[in-house]
Amino acid sequence: MKVGLFIPCYVDAVYPEVGMATWKLLKHLGLDVTYPEKQTCCGQPMANAGFEKQAIPLAEKFEEKFKDFDYVVAPSVSCTAFIKMNYSRLLNHECETAKRCMDVVEFLHDVVKVDRRLGTFPHKVSLHNSCHGVRELGLSSPSEEHVNKFNKIKDLLQLVDGIDVVEPERPDECCGFGGMFSVEETAVSAQMGKDKVERHIQTGAEYITGPDCSCLMHMAGVAKKQGLNIQFKHVVEILAAGL
Amino acid sequence: MSTTHSKAAKQFLKNQQYAHWHDATFWAVRTKRDNMAYGLDEWEQLREKASAIKRHTITHLDEYLDQFATNAEKNGVEVHWAKDAKEFNEIVYGILKNHNVKKMVKSKSMLTEECEMNPYLEERGIEVVETDLGERIIQLKGQKPSHIVMPAIHLNHDDVGELFEEKGISNEKGNHDPTFLTYRARLSLRNEFLTADAGMTGANFGIASTGDIVVCTNEGNADMSTSCPKLHIAAIGLEKIIPNYECLAVFQRMLCRAGTGQPTTTYTSHFRKARPTAHHMHIVLVDNGRSEWIANPEHWEALKCIRCGSCMNTCPVYRRSGGYSYSYFIPGPIGINLGMLRDTQAHSGNVSACTLCLSCQTVCPVKVNLGDQIYQWRQQLDDFGTANPQKKLMCRGMSMVYGSSGLYNFGTGLAHWANFIPSPIMNCGLNPWAEGHKMMEFPKKPFHEMIKEVKSE
Amino acid sequence: MASKEDILKKYRANVREKFDMPDLSDIKATTYPDPLLQFMNMTKSVGGNAIEVEKGRDINELIKELYPDAKEIASNLPEITIATRNPDEVGRARDLNGTDVGIIRGSFGVAENACVWIPQQMKEKAVCFISENLVILLDKKQIVNNMHEAYQRIEFNDYGYGTFISGPSKTADIAQVLVMGAQAARSATVLLIDE
Repeated sequence: MKVGLFIPCYVDAVYPEVGMATWKLLKHLGLDVTYPEKQTCCGQPMANAGFEKQAIPLAEKFEEKFKDFDYVVAPSVSCTAFIKMNYSRLLNHECETAKRCMDVVEFLHDVVKVDRRLGTFPHKVSLHNSCHGVRELGLSSPSEEHVNKFNKIKDLLQLVDGIDVVEPERPDECCGFGGMFSVEETAVSAQMGKDKVERHIQTGAEYITGPDCSCLMHMAGVAKKQGLNIQFKHVVEILAAGL
Repeated sequence: MSTTHSKAAKQFLKNQQYAHWHDATFWAVRTKRDNMAYGLDEWEQLREKASAIKRHTITHLDEYLDQFATNAEKNGVEVHWAKDAKEFNEIVYGILKNHNVKKMVKSKSMLTEECEMNPYLEERGIEVVETDLGERIIQLKGQKPSHIVMPAIHLNHDDVGELFEEKGISNEKGNHDPTFLTYRARLSLRNEFLTADAGMTGANFGIASTGDIVVCTNEGNADMSTSCPKLHIAAIGLEKIIPNYECLAVFQRMLCRAGTGQPTTTYTSHFRKARPTAHHMHIVLVDNGRSEWIANPEHWEALKCIRCGSCMNTCPVYRRSGGYSYSYFIPGPIGINLGMLRDTQAHSGNVSACTLCLSCQTVCPVKVNLGDQIYQWRQQLDDFGTANPQKKLMCRGMSMVYGSSGLYNFGTGLAHWANFIPSPIMNCGLNPWAEGHKMMEFPKKPFHEMIKEVKSE
Repeated sequence: MASKEDILKKYRANVREKFDMPDLSDIKATTYPDPLLQFMNMTKSVGGNAIEVEKGRDINELIKELYPDAKEIASNLPEITIATRNPDEVGRARDLNGTDVGIIRGSFGVAENACVWIPQQMKEKAVCFISENLVILLDKKQIVNNMHEAYQRIEFNDYGYGTFISGPSKTADIAQVLVMGAQAARSATVLLIDE
């Protein structure tokens, strides 16, 4: 099984440690991982803003770069969801490469089916269920639906030594990032971020963790501005902690 | 980089106490809906059936409309067809004039709001009295509804108390207890029901197989409006027609559960014909754009909507900006979509009011793909000429950078220098991110540099 | 009628893809081991009263006990002897205003939501809404589980009107505070008769 690692633009530029943790974890699990060079972006920021045609050259590049891998794994639910939901339509052909793209949580849970002890992280963490993960990738049961409850992120985190995982009230309400939304609707975005961080803090957790750095980046920025005291880590950093 | 919605929302959020109350109130309704949904094992099956029934019905609507009208006419009901709002108002006025109507009571109808019927009739000397308590309150206040099911939700009991005192509905100054105020409104509206010459209702559903219309209320005002006055006019949008009673069971079970978290409205009334002591019953079927929307490949499913309001209740943006932040008379996710179908120039300013979280389409009892449709509208704003020029420029910039690994690597290589930009410059008005966030720390090296070191080990 | 043909023609021409009617026979609708009990519990939860009447009990006396201060009682039911007004005989619907207790008959009840099916059985149906208090006589054996069963069963007579009533009229339009008694009955009592 050849795994290609896709590191989205903002993970590359702002949270390289999340990329490193992903690399380290996949290697630790004995997987054949390759990081193809000269990656840039999946195109989601422009598409959500209304310029999805600008994602087409990026989709072509993605398909070219990753076509020989069995799986393309990314530590980002929003990018993965965007690729899976839109690339075939944008490229005007069934894009097999896009279909084989998976977020790292999905991949570890559903493909690798990890069931052994992973890292060590003796802290209380509050789980942030990013919207793209819940309602597009099926990482957890949406609170809106009457379905059997499940949470793949929580399942994986339970493999970490010493961890205590909790969920905030309104467990899958949006954090308010929404890409361009955060700079176009600044007031609502900041309010949603503040409300979400406060709910996470109310759980008594030391960390907020989730499968997407864009949510974490937004909440961290709002928290710092508001003087709210809590730390942030991507799920994969916790899974890889101490490995 | 602002839109009509973002500017209005910013104002709304200035009153933090009120904004917090507004958000909590609608989240409570969402929670009530959740309890209803979790209480029925068949909930998701019902949603799927409801969606499928609607898809079938609205794509065969010409047949069902014909069947509905034929059956209604067989029952002795007079059926009118209005191609647009203007024709609707003219038809209603014509009927009222023929019967020398001076005062008409009406139960809630978003369709009449859509056609701006009240001012049309009032200009021609007909008094229109809203009888849904929420609608009556905003009518007296001269305001528009801020939610399609709870139109006066933005007012508190003091606002209502003072209004009732001013209008002579309340006789006890300072008593703003909701139970007392509701009783005073009851007395006032009771008098209106007894002295009105006509009653108008909307219709939640029209049954094609029998020609009946179905009206659901908690207050009983649709029934009071049609049991006392001698003339009943029912206004119904084309898309409200459903095939038969077997289908109605699915929708009746979901409408109130989804909208207010109750298992049913108090009254679910089925009107086949006028009562013996009244004049004929009139039904006015209204197109007003619906026959065009069905042709829209991305947005025709908006016609499935049963106007329950649950998408607004779950929308984190609606809860934090309120109905008046939207330019269309229907707010929230369905309002963004219907507003764009109505007039892309007037209502493009609402399209920013969405994070694409998709909660709306996950609660929608008929599975309208609300969030997906908002994404689609965004792709068209540039063609409509309503795309935000700053946003367009930003995207072109990003496109350029992401399109060239040379440029991209250059940019990411320089990123950590941003950490040294003095705060007053970084956080100035030109940086919208800085409005709500403290800037992030850029690392010394991006991932694509760091990984090279690891690989070479 | 110009507009009708124009509208139908336009609509027909604009439909792109058509969809079939789904099969509704496989809906797994909730049923109850004791529908009567569920009906009574739901009636209470929607703000109504449900009283089981022992066989042979005098309905008229029971109603007088429940509403000792009632002066004006409206009903056209043959078994009601205490009526002071008759909705079949009033000159105008508005003459029923000021009715303290309106007594009507329901055909069957619905367990899932406390609805009672009430086809119009009187000249002036205003009695169902204009009365301050509503009393519905219902055969306790006539309870169905859910609205699917209900809609299979409803019948209309020549009056051409029927309504499901679940509890008293209510509103939460003022500051989201739930108040019983909006524009219609301020209380609703279902008397479950053992027939």
